[in-house]
Amino acid sequence: MKRAKPQEGPDGTLQRTAVPEARQLRKQAGDWLKQRRADAGLSQVALAERLGMKYYTFISQVENGFSRVPTEAMEAWAIQLGLEPSEFAKHLLLYYEPELYRLLFGKKK
Amino acid sequence: MSVLTFERKQDGELWSETELHTLLTALNAALGSGDGRGWETGMTEKGDLQFYLLGPLPDQACQLCVSRIGRRYILEDGAGRLLFEHQSLPLVALHAKAAVSSRRWSLVARIALLWCTVRHTIHDKVEPLLIESEEIFLHLAPKLAVFA
Repeated sequence: MKRAKPQEGPDGTLQRTAVPEARQLRKQAGDWLKQRRADAGLSQVALAERLGMKYYTFISQVENGFSRVPTEAMEAWAIQLGLEPSEFAKHLLLYYEPELYRLLFGKKK
Repeated sequence: MSVLTFERKQDGELWSETELHTLLTALNAALGSGDGRGWETGMTEKGDLQFYLLGPLPDQACQLCVSRIGRRYILEDGAGRLLFEHQSLPLVALHAKAAVSSRRWSLVARIALLWCTVRHTIHDKVEPLLIESEEIFLHLAPKLAVFA
């Protein structure tokens, strides 16, 4: 997963600089997913193929921290990464819904 | 299902100004709504470029993503659903615009979008076939005329 340097728009404007907490947490989730994928020895293309996707671009979208793993797809992702689905979902909840995670499990990261 | 990969554009390290202008112009209304929406660019593991339209604050989750793979542009929503794909970025940008403003778009605008898509498809796929048929006819016509 690579992230491009911030690119200027045609009008010379740069993208915003302040990064909200939700985005930082999604990025951390993306980094964690990237590491798990590397542990499973899969490229983004290979993972997408195993998940039945036409393109691999959504894997990058998630790993770059811009999107979440959809709830309905968590089990399939976990299986393809060789992880236990409930632990996988629980770990992602820590990043995606930290307050819900705290209420359910009693602690934050 | 096998994942599609394409030959990468040789000139592409970053989005060109023209490409960004096309996307930002199409998404101007959504970006100018004043609720903290923004956009960012990124890259896949293989170096394919991505453009993300981010939703409102505080989440700023990806609403739409346009990826450039080879000469093809892929439009997906924030949940990874494939919305549209084409070699024409203006057409993809039009679909992106429709996707973010679907509630406000009138039926007329949707018909216009459908018309543009059909026109592009005809231009890309049917026209070459017609030209080829015409060439074959022009080639064979003199020979057929001999038998007439």
